[in-house]
Amino acid sequence: MASAYNPIYTDVPEKDVFALHFLQTLSNLRTQNSFSSPDNKTSDRVKKIKKAAYVSMARAAGGANRLWSRSLLHQAAKRNNKNVRFLRRKRRVTWLMRRRSNRGDPIEDVAAERLRNLVPGGGGMETSKLMEETAHYIKCLSMQVKVMQCLVDGLSPK
Amino acid sequence: MDYISPQTYNSTLSFSLSLALNPIRKDKSSKFLNLLSMDLTGLKWLQQHQQMVSPEFLQILGSDGREELRRVESYLGNNLDELQNFRPGYDTIDGCISRTSSFQMEPVKSNEENRVVALQNKRKPEGKRETREKKKKIKAEDETESSMKGNSDMSNTETSSDVLKQDYIHVRARRGEATDRHSLAERARREKISKKMKCLQDIVPGCNKVTGKAGMLDEIINYVQSLQQQVEFLSMKLSFLNPQLEFHIHELSSMMADQRSFPLHQQGSLDYSVINSNQTTSLNALKMETSLSWDVHSQCLYNNLRTDSVFSFFSLK
Repeated sequence: MASAYNPIYTDVPEKDVFALHFLQTLSNLRTQNSFSSPDNKTSDRVKKIKKAAYVSMARAAGGANRLWSRSLLHQAAKRNNKNVRFLRRKRRVTWLMRRRSNRGDPIEDVAAERLRNLVPGGGGMETSKLMEETAHYIKCLSMQVKVMQCLVDGLSPK
Repeated sequence: MDYISPQTYNSTLSFSLSLALNPIRKDKSSKFLNLLSMDLTGLKWLQQHQQMVSPEFLQILGSDGREELRRVESYLGNNLDELQNFRPGYDTIDGCISRTSSFQMEPVKSNEENRVVALQNKRKPEGKRETREKKKKIKAEDETESSMKGNSDMSNTETSSDVLKQDYIHVRARRGEATDRHSLAERARREKISKKMKCLQDIVPGCNKVTGKAGMLDEIINYVQSLQQQVEFLSMKLSFLNPQLEFHIHELSSMMADQRSFPLHQQGSLDYSVINSNQTTSLNALKMETSLSWDVHSQCLYNNLRTDSVFSFFSLK
């Protein structure tokens, strides 16, 4: 499968890149939290970790190159009330984008809508672009899941 | 070979000549050349024996014919995919011959009518699916469509010196379907999407059993949802394991940074005891952490542990 011809360009960095980013983000969390109230509620902690996981994944997977990672980082920055600016590649208004509102195969549209809701940043994309982003997103997600699984396994008591 | 009309031979001659005259795409066109070379001898014979051929040939190389030649060249020059789809069997050549002949049969007529005529006059190849190459000529006013077009690298041949650079979308339309621009574009878009869905099929496990777009998309959506749920579940686990959110990041990340120089191909067995001792030592270390600098800290921890443990910690391979 490694040698399969893939027209979609989905190369994902190795696991250690993800691991490193994740750990760095967690350490940032720790330094943030050491000065706040120590008796955090469980759900808050969980949310923080989850957010850290996604942000680190977005950064590890090639921060500004992918649409989903860009929108993830935007969302995260908005929550912290920071303004993040990305160098936006010049958006070419293609003829297909213009026609997206008009036409649509009803079978694939329903599923595409659901996919758009799942994948971050999927709202403004054409269906073919959405497929590319989904492929990359799935690869990165699986890598992140592996990293977190290893961390959990390593830290859990015997 | 009697059932092939002289016009067909004309067209193949011009076809092959255009191949020969187009030096850049020679590698791709050589395949065709090899296949058509066996026809070329017959062509030459026919051309010699029929004097009507040469004026027609010249006429074909008139304005419309030049366009057709250009199209043929651009078709050859463009999509490697399309070329690979072309199976070089003899009946394909027949189909190819008839295709080109249909383009050049009435060079006086306009292009749209040409295609309609081609629809009607097409000789049925035996047992092959009737596909016809439709080329959509994009006019100058739709400048914004340039992102969709394939690149056409056309060199100027001697016959077509006043060639305009035009880009084409190459679409394979089935017989009997509408040939207007919008439906062709729609078809191109749908083919793009289905190509990408095939790639997604490789990535998502368990997609092979379900066929059809809707089922596959459902599978993909379920997979993404399950992955996201896994992330949430694992983060919950992590938060329970470390209520103070102390992940002993320093030593772990320093381990990671150090291990980069080592080959990351080892796979040791997971050794919990070592890791637990790691935790206790680091806890003690953290209590007096301000005295130690970061590098020294990592150094002594590095000396305590083996390298294998961190490899196995993350199962890095």
